[in-house]
Amino acid sequence: MHSVTAIVVAHDGARWLKETLTAVLRQTRPLDRLVGVDNGSRDGGGRMLSEAFGSGNVLTLNRSTGFGEAVHEALRRLPAASGQEWVWLLHDDSAPDTGALQALLWAADQDPKAAILGPKLLDWLDRRVLLELGVTVGRSGRRDTGLEPREYDQGQHDGIHDVLSVSTAGMLIRRDVWDELSGLDPDLPLFRDDLDLCWRARVAGHRVISVTDAVAWHAEASARRRRRISTSDDHPRRLDRRNALFVIMANLPFWALVRSIVRNVCGSLVRTLLFLLAKQPANALDEVAALGSVLRHPLRLRRARKARRNGRKQGYPAVARLLTPPGAAMRRLADMVQSFLAGEGPVDSAGRHHAAAEGASEDDGDELLADSGVFQRVFSRPGVLLCLALAAVTAVAERSLLAGDLLGGGALVPVTGGAADLWRLYTEGHHVTGLGSDTWAPPYVAVLAGLSALSFGKTWAAVSVLLLGCVPLAGLSAYISTRRIIRYGPARVWLAATYALLPVATGAVAGGRFGTAIVLVLLPVYAALATRVIAGSRRAAWGLGLLLAVGTAFVPLVYPLVAILGGLAAVSFAGVRRGVGLSLAIGLGTPILLLFPWLAELARDPGRILLEAGLQDVALADPRLGAESLLMLSPGGPGVPPVWATAGLVAVALAALLLRRHQMMVAIGWGVMLFGVLVAIVVSRITVHAGEASVPVWPGVPLAFAATGLLVAAAHPAHRITQFRAAGGLRRAATLLVVAVAFATPVAAAAMWVVAGADGPLKRGVPDPVPMLAALGTSGGDGTLLLRAKDGRVVYTVLHREAPLIGESDLRSPEDARKRFGAAVAGLASGRGGVYAQTLASLGVQFVTAPGPLDAGLRRALDSDPALVRMSLSEAGGLWRMAGPVTPPTPPRGTDSPHTWWLWAQGVLVVLVLILAAPGARTPGAEEEYADAVVEEAPRGRRRARGDNRGDRVPA
Amino acid sequence: MKGLIENRFGLLALVMVAVAALYGVAFATRPAPVTVRPPQAVKAPVESVSAVCPAPGGTRLSVVTPPGGQGPGSAVVAGLAGAEGGDGKGGNGKGDGKDARPVSTVDQPGLLWQKEIPAGGIPLAVDATGSMAAGLESAQTARETSGPQRGLAGVRCVEPGADAWFVGPGPASADVTLYLANADGAAADVSISMYSGEGPVLSERGSGMILQPGEHRAIQLRDLAPSPLVMGLEVSTATGRVAAAIRTVFGKGRGVDWLPVATAPATSVVVPGIPGTAGQRELYVTAPGEQDTVVNVKAVLKDGSYALKNKETLDVPAGSTAVLDLSTGIGGQPAALVLTSDVPVTAGLKITGTGSSQDVAFTAGAPSIDLGSVVADGRAARKQTSRLVLSAPFAQAAVKVQLLPKEGTAPPPVEVRLPAGRTREMKLTPPPGGGTGFSVVVQPEPGSGPVYGGRVLDETTTDGQMVTAQPLALARTWALVPPTADSPSAVLP
Repeated sequence: MHSVTAIVVAHDGARWLKETLTAVLRQTRPLDRLVGVDNGSRDGGGRMLSEAFGSGNVLTLNRSTGFGEAVHEALRRLPAASGQEWVWLLHDDSAPDTGALQALLWAADQDPKAAILGPKLLDWLDRRVLLELGVTVGRSGRRDTGLEPREYDQGQHDGIHDVLSVSTAGMLIRRDVWDELSGLDPDLPLFRDDLDLCWRARVAGHRVISVTDAVAWHAEASARRRRRISTSDDHPRRLDRRNALFVIMANLPFWALVRSIVRNVCGSLVRTLLFLLAKQPANALDEVAALGSVLRHPLRLRRARKARRNGRKQGYPAVARLLTPPGAAMRRLADMVQSFLAGEGPVDSAGRHHAAAEGASEDDGDELLADSGVFQRVFSRPGVLLCLALAAVTAVAERSLLAGDLLGGGALVPVTGGAADLWRLYTEGHHVTGLGSDTWAPPYVAVLAGLSALSFGKTWAAVSVLLLGCVPLAGLSAYISTRRIIRYGPARVWLAATYALLPVATGAVAGGRFGTAIVLVLLPVYAALATRVIAGSRRAAWGLGLLLAVGTAFVPLVYPLVAILGGLAAVSFAGVRRGVGLSLAIGLGTPILLLFPWLAELARDPGRILLEAGLQDVALADPRLGAESLLMLSPGGPGVPPVWATAGLVAVALAALLLRRHQMMVAIGWGVMLFGVLVAIVVSRITVHAGEASVPVWPGVPLAFAATGLLVAAAHPAHRITQFRAAGGLRRAATLLVVAVAFATPVAAAAMWVVAGADGPLKRGVPDPVPMLAALGTSGGDGTLLLRAKDGRVVYTVLHREAPLIGESDLRSPEDARKRFGAAVAGLASGRGGVYAQTLASLGVQFVTAPGPLDAGLRRALDSDPALVRMSLSEAGGLWRMAGPVTPPTPPRGTDSPHTWWLWAQGVLVVLVLILAAPGARTPGAEEEYADAVVEEAPRGRRRARGDNRGDRVPA
Repeated sequence: MKGLIENRFGLLALVMVAVAALYGVAFATRPAPVTVRPPQAVKAPVESVSAVCPAPGGTRLSVVTPPGGQGPGSAVVAGLAGAEGGDGKGGNGKGDGKDARPVSTVDQPGLLWQKEIPAGGIPLAVDATGSMAAGLESAQTARETSGPQRGLAGVRCVEPGADAWFVGPGPASADVTLYLANADGAAADVSISMYSGEGPVLSERGSGMILQPGEHRAIQLRDLAPSPLVMGLEVSTATGRVAAAIRTVFGKGRGVDWLPVATAPATSVVVPGIPGTAGQRELYVTAPGEQDTVVNVKAVLKDGSYALKNKETLDVPAGSTAVLDLSTGIGGQPAALVLTSDVPVTAGLKITGTGSSQDVAFTAGAPSIDLGSVVADGRAARKQTSRLVLSAPFAQAAVKVQLLPKEGTAPPPVEVRLPAGRTREMKLTPPPGGGTGFSVVVQPEPGSGPVYGGRVLDETTTDGQMVTAQPLALARTWALVPPTADSPSAVLP
C-alpha cells in the first residue's frame, strides 16, 4: 500500500505554477498528501500554492533557500505515513501528465528494488520535444541525455530504463531511501543535486529508473534563465559546471578521481581557450571559475567525499556502466563534422539544458523526413554537385597542366620553395635575392606562406589548388555566398556556374594570374559580407576587412573598387540602420591598417595599384582591347573565349530589366555592372611602367565586379520563372527561351574551355632556370646570372641557388647597383670583351646561364669572353663559370628593427581581426531577455529578418 | 525619375543608354595600333680582342687596327706561355697563359705592323685592349719559293672559341696538321669530329683531349684517321676555349695552305672570295646532321648569279663531305658560291694556281661583313698581286675600301658599288710611299645589302703561280650591345 506525498517547490514561477498545480491535483492516482514550499516568491506563487493546497500545507521559506534544502525542510515537518511512503518532488515549472503518478507507482510495483523513478520529460513549449529520459554524465562532467538535439517523442524510447539519474522534476523517491541517503545534498542548491542523489542511491544498491509511461512537461526555467536564481549570485552556467565537477569528484573512487582531476583540468583549459577564440569571454570565465571554485575548496570536497565514503568503491562499477562511454566525445565531433559537411551547421547536441528549444528552425519537417546516409546527404546538395561538375570541366580543360614538373608561365614564376622559404622571404630584412634588396616583401607573400603551411608546406600545392582550381572554387564560393541574396536554387546554380566560367577566370588560369584567381574566389564572399555589413553586422565587417586585405595584397585595385561601392552603399543606407557607418569603416579601414607600409609604398607609385601580384609581362594583356570585349566582360589576353561567349548572360540580364517587381535589385546589379565596365575601360587604356617595361593593364578584376553585378541582376528575379512557366502560353515559351539563353553561357564557356585547353603562357614542365651544376656550385651570396634573348633584347636576372620565389619579383634593388649591373650585363652580352665579366664577378656572379633555345649571338658573345669558362652547352642551354675569383656581396649586418616591429604588430593585428571576425558560438538571445516569455526564437528571427531586408532592400 | 524607374521599359532604356555610352567611350578611347619597334642594339667599339697565330715561325706576322680608336690602347704580341715544353705547365701565377716577355707591343691604330718571325718557335698570342682592340686583325703569311712547302700560305690569327669548322682535303690526300692552342686561364676540353666522304669518322684513339692553360698542340690528322680523302672537321670544346687552325701540305710541287675557318653549319652558306685567276676550283660540302641532303649550288659572278650547268646540285649523304669540281664552271672568273640546303651544311673551296709547280689556296663559307672587315696582310710588289673579291649575292650593296699603309698617311677610302647578285674583283694598289705591305679595311655603307668577300694574294714565279686566299671575316671593330632588361620573367621561356 503506497502513500504518496507531493512536494511542490515554488520560486518566482507563477507563470508555470498554475498549470503545475492543476496537473498535480488532477492526477488519476490522487495524492495522499500535498505540500507546497514557497521559497520567497515575489510573484504571488505562495498565494497560488495556498489556494491550491490549503494554507496549512504550504511552507514559506526565505528566498535563498535551495531546492534540496526546501525539500528537507518540508520532510522534517512531515510525520511518517503508513505503508510504503513515497515522496514526489515537483518543480513549479514541471507539470506532470494526469496519469504520471499512476504510471510511476505501477513501475515501482514491478520492481521492489526501484527506489527512485522519474517520468519522461518533454519540453514545456514544444510539447513533442524530448528533454530527458534519465540523464547520465561523462567523466568530464558533461551532461548527457542520450538524445539527439530537438529529438521528437514518437515513442521511440518508450519502456522502463535503468538510468544513472533522473531529474528532480517529477522524481518519485521512497522516503526510507531518502532518509537513508540523507536526501539531496544542501551544498548543491541547484543543478546536479539530482545526479548526486541518484549516484548515491545507485552506490547504495538501489535502482534508478526512468518510466516513459509517466510524462511531465518541464520548462527548465532556471537553466534557461527564464527566472532569476536567488540561491546564488553566479550565472547558472557556472553553477552547473561547478556542481557537475563537484559531484563527479565527490562520488568517484580515489584513482578514478585522480584521473578525472587531470582530465578536467586539461579539458577545462582547452575549453576556455576555445571559448576565448569563439569570443565568449563570459563562458571562458565561467569555465575557469567553476574549476577554480571546486579546486579552491578542498576541504569542502573532502567533507563531501567523507560523507559518501560508504560503498563508493564497491558501488562504482554499477555506476560506471551507466556513465557516458569514453568514445562519446569523438563521436560528437564526428557528428558535428558530418553535419557541417551536409551543410546544416555545427549543432551541439544535448550538452546543455536548453539545447532543445534553442535550435528549432523552420524546416523541422524536412529534417525528419530526410533521414539519409552521409553520402546521400553530401552528394545530393546542388552546391556539391556543381562544384564536382566544375572540377570535372576544369580537370579536362587543364589536362596539360595537372601533372608534371614545375608549374609556371605568364605572371607566375616557376613555383619552387616551400612555406618556410616564403616565411623567410617575408620576415627577413635584407633579401639576398637578385642584386640584394632591402625592400620589405609584399604582404601577399605572407598569405601564400600561410596557405602553403596549410598545404603541409608545399607551395606548389597551394598555388596549384588556388590557380588551377580557381574555377570550381569560385563556383563554390559564388554558390554559398549568394545563399542569402538569391533564394531560388536553380538560379544560384546558374549564377555560380556562369561566374566560375567567366572569361576572367579562364584568362586568369591561362595567364598564371594567381592574384586574380584568389580575388575571383573572394569576390562573392565580399558581396555576401558587404550585404551583412550594410545590415550592421560588426563581425561581418571584421571578416570583410580581413578578406579585403587578402584580396588587396594580391590585386590592389580591389580595394578602391570595394571602397567606392561601399561608400555609395554607406550614403544610401547609413541613415537606414544604426552602426552601418561604423561597420563600413571597420571593413574598409582594416585592410589599410593591416597593409599599411606596403600601401604607403604603393601610393608613392600609383601605377602599381593597377597591376597585380606576380610577373609583369607585356604579352599578358591586350593593349587595345575592343569596346565589344569590354562590354561582354572579356578582359583580353591569353585564354579568353570569343567575345560572344557571354552574350547570353548580358541578354538575360537585359531581360530581367523588363520585370516589374524586384526592380531595385536588378537596378543595383546593373549599376555595379556599369561601374565595373567603366573602371575596366579606364584601366585597360592605361599602360603602367613596371620596371623597365611598360605593361598594359589587364582589366580582369573590374570586369569580375561587373560580372558579379550582372549575375545578381539576372539571377535575383529568376524565381519568377516558375510563375511564368505555370502561366503557360507565350509566357511559357518566353521563359523557356530565357532559360535556354541563360544556360547557354556557362555551357558554351565550359565547352570552349575544354576544347581550347587551359594552357596559355602557363605551362607545366617549365625547366628549372638554375642548372644543377650552378645550384651545386654556388654558395653563400654567389649568384647565377640568367640571360635570355627575348624579342630583340636580352632579359636577365640574378638567381641564388634556386628559381626565384613567388614575390621575389616585387623586390627592388638599389638603383645604382642595378645600373652598374645592367651596364655590365649589356657589355657581357655584346661580346665586346673588356672587364664586364670581372665587374659581374665583383658583384657576386659566379655562373652565367643562358637557357635554350640559345641565341647564337648570345652564345658567341659568352663563348668569346676569356673571363668565362664554359661548363656545358646543350639544347637545354649553356652554362659558363667565372674564371676569376668572385666576391659575393656582403649582406648588411644588424637587423631592420622597424621591420621587425611592424611584423609583430601586423601579426597581432591579424590575430585580433581573426578573432573578431571568427564565427563565435551564438549566444542564445534568452540571456539578455530572460524576463520575456517568448524569446526562444529571438536570435534566429532577427537574423532572418536581416536576410529578408537584404533580399529586397529599399532605400528610404 | 521615379516614374522612369517604375516604368517597365524605363529602366531598360536607361541601361541601354548607359551601355551605349560606355561602348562609345571604349570605342573612342581605343588606342591606334602601334607597331612596337623592337629596341635596337647599339654599336659599340670592341674593348678587347685576343687572337692566336698558330705557327708564326718563318712567316711574316701582320697586325693592324683600323684608325678611329680613342684613348690609349695597345696590342701585345707574345709567345704562348708554357709553349716550349708544350705541357701546359707554364704560365705565371695568375694563369693567364701568356708569356711574360712580349715579342712586341703595337700601340698605333691605323698603321700596319709587320714583322718577320724567325723559324721555329711557339704560337704567338695577340692581345689588344683599348683603342687598339676595335677591329684588330692579325695574320701570318709564309712564303716559300722551293721545297715541300713551296707556296704562299696565309692564315688569320684566330680568336679562341668554343667551336670551329674546317672543310677541305682529308689526311689521305694531303698532310693535314691541326694546330690547337689554349690561350686562356682555364683548361679546355677539346673534342674533334671528322666527317669524311664516307661518313663520320670514329677514331679509335678517341677524339677528345684536355688542353691546359697555355698549352698548344699540333696534331697530325693522319694519326687520327688515315683514310679520308676529304673532310669536314669540327673542333669544339665542352669547357674552355681553344684556337684551332689547320695546315694542309700536299707535298712537293702540289701546294700548301691553311684552311680558313668556315661558318657553322647553316641552311644557306655563301663561299666568297674566289679569284678570277685560272686554275682548278673544288668545292667541299659537309652535312654534319643525320639527314642526307641535296645542296643547290649557285654561282655569283661578274655578270649575274645563276646555277652552273650540270652542276646545279650536289648530293651530300648524312654526316659526310662531298666534292664538286667547279673548275669548268667558275674557273677564270671571280665568283662567290651560294649554297642552299634543307639541312645545315658548311662548305670550303680549294683554289689551285697554275704553273708546273702548283700552289693551293682555300676559301670557305663566310659570314657577311655587316660591321666591316679588315684584312691584315696585303702585298703589292712587282710580281705580287692582292685582289679583293666582293660579292653581293642577295641585294645591292656599297662598301668603302680603304688601304692602310705601314707608314705615312692612309689614302682616302674608295667606294665600291655592287649590283645585286654580282661579284666584283678589284686589284689592290698600295698608296705610294707606304712600302709594299698594306692592310685593307672594308666597310659596308649604311643601308647596304649583305656583302661577302675574300682577299686573294698571288705571286707569279717562274715555275708557277703561288696563291693564298682568305674569306673576309667579320671585323671585331664593333659589337652590338643588345638592349637589356632586368626582369625576373627571364626565368620563363
